[in-house]
Amino acid sequence: MKRSELIFERPAQLAATTPAEARGVERDSGRLLISTPAGHTHAQFNELASFLRRGDLLVVNDSATLPASLPARGAIGAFIVNIATDYGGGTWLVEPRQSSSQPGALPLSAGDRIVIGADDGIASDGRIAARLIAPYPGLPRLWFIVADGDLRPVMAATGAPIRYGYVSERYPLSVYQTVFANRTCGCGSAEMPSAAYPFTRRVVDSVQDRGVEIVAITLHTGVSSLEVESETVEQHPLYPEPFAVSAATAQAVNTAHASGRRVIAIGTTVVRALESAWDGNEVHPARGFTRAYIHPARGVHVVDGVLTGLHDPVTSHLAMLYAIAGQDVIRAGYAEAVRAGYLWHEFGDSHLIMTR
Amino acid sequence: MRENKNALITGASRGLGAVLAAFLAGQGHDLVITARGANELKAVRTRLAGFGGAVTAIEGDMTDPAHRAALIDAAARLGGLDILINNASDLGATPLPPLAAYPLDILRRLYEVNLIAPLALAQIALPLLQKRNGLIVNVSSDAAKGGYPGWGGYGSTKAALDLVTLTLANEADGYAAVSVDPGDMRTVMHQAAFPDDDISDRPLPEVTLPFWAWLFGQNRSAINGGRYGAQSEKWQPVREVTDETV
Repeated sequence: MKRSELIFERPAQLAATTPAEARGVERDSGRLLISTPAGHTHAQFNELASFLRRGDLLVVNDSATLPASLPARGAIGAFIVNIATDYGGGTWLVEPRQSSSQPGALPLSAGDRIVIGADDGIASDGRIAARLIAPYPGLPRLWFIVADGDLRPVMAATGAPIRYGYVSERYPLSVYQTVFANRTCGCGSAEMPSAAYPFTRRVVDSVQDRGVEIVAITLHTGVSSLEVESETVEQHPLYPEPFAVSAATAQAVNTAHASGRRVIAIGTTVVRALESAWDGNEVHPARGFTRAYIHPARGVHVVDGVLTGLHDPVTSHLAMLYAIAGQDVIRAGYAEAVRAGYLWHEFGDSHLIMTR
Repeated sequence: MRENKNALITGASRGLGAVLAAFLAGQGHDLVITARGANELKAVRTRLAGFGGAVTAIEGDMTDPAHRAALIDAAARLGGLDILINNASDLGATPLPPLAAYPLDILRRLYEVNLIAPLALAQIALPLLQKRNGLIVNVSSDAAKGGYPGWGGYGSTKAALDLVTLTLANEADGYAAVSVDPGDMRTVMHQAAFPDDDISDRPLPEVTLPFWAWLFGQNRSAINGGRYGAQSEKWQPVREVTDETV
């Protein structure tokens, strides 16, 4: 698929710049666009249940959000480090940035020593020394680093949720936790698995009252990917993310398939995890890192639909949506969303895409 | 201060071996590196010096028992081994002949380089690995399974190495062993296998770095006996261990 097939016009003002909390409204007060082969429907997110059927299986991502954006300094001065992924043994993938709104590129080299955490760090767990190992192959803005100790307490002490330029204010970590977040493991996502942001307890209840089952996978997101720059969509490098599909969730998906019920992913992360656990016949329990890149040439085998936000032009997420529902449905849906003034990004509006 | 970690890498003068050496040095390992090309090996050592760890570079032929012993002596001086990477290997006869016409003297020599030498090195490295609950990585190939015409010599040495790895893993006591198929890469060996092809569309060996970062970060008993594809769609432990989170 050519890169140009991911291009569409999204007016810059169609961006959600504040969370519901800051506007004094419920998270479920946003809009919901429903796209099916039969057409497109506008609704409110809190009406989600009425677009689901008894027996549908919703699969959510229970990964919590980490305070993954930390101050850092090195020979080049002060910058910020967004922590993407824990590789174990003190090795992490990170994105050094000029600031939340300026990505860089920073003049860093392999072997550079940096200090991550608060500059004034009076408490010893407020900062940690680290060394740059190597840039990520094909994505040189990302670096593997090795920390001199455990980075997690430093994150807890001095980190903030990752924020980009279109969100001007800082908000507490709680704003970045979904209702499904499992906060018991100390692990989590660099960025909120934001498809579930608009779920409130009452929406969950209304969905369950409808006879819809909800199960979870875990996929810890890394930092947002940038635009596809390669000539073809398939050449775009995607980095792996840690994921787990439990035996119970695999069983629930296989049972839904066997009885012809729909499987609906709440977010692109869930699609990535479930498709990674598919062996050609069924979903198996799985745990590890997945590099799965879901695009039309690879295809989709597990999910019948996805509930997600609205994705930027020329991103790999669009290729995933094309793989699920076809380019025509997605393009028509996005034209409808632009026409009706839907809002993009993590605090924005929602899009339920169903193939049947 | 933490005890320093050590790694021994064969075939470290170029390609995948050199990339692995740089990554492990970057992670803070002290290294013993070896290859047959003295100048290239020296150049790699110079590049790694910037990471600040100790780098011992010993030129030699892996089929020479005295050379293998010298490598293990160097590792012993570092205090033990956390990682042994058997990366050095030969392609065998080129252009790749069908098995029907494979020169048997070349095949015997290929088994010496690709099978006997890595096993021999692992045998004498075991005491050092056992001190550190160390990891043996034997670099394998897609050719070990493919049955591709022309690849019978090289592929069969790697298939045998895979079984050696799995058996070492099943016999493991205080160490772990894995096979890794790095996948297609733009390397000197790949070009030698396809002398008339343009291989510039193949990724450089750096493409495997995320895999190595993952592998080295895993609990050793969780990956023991695994056969991994560095460019495959997912990497999973082969068994659950209780202290692991996602």
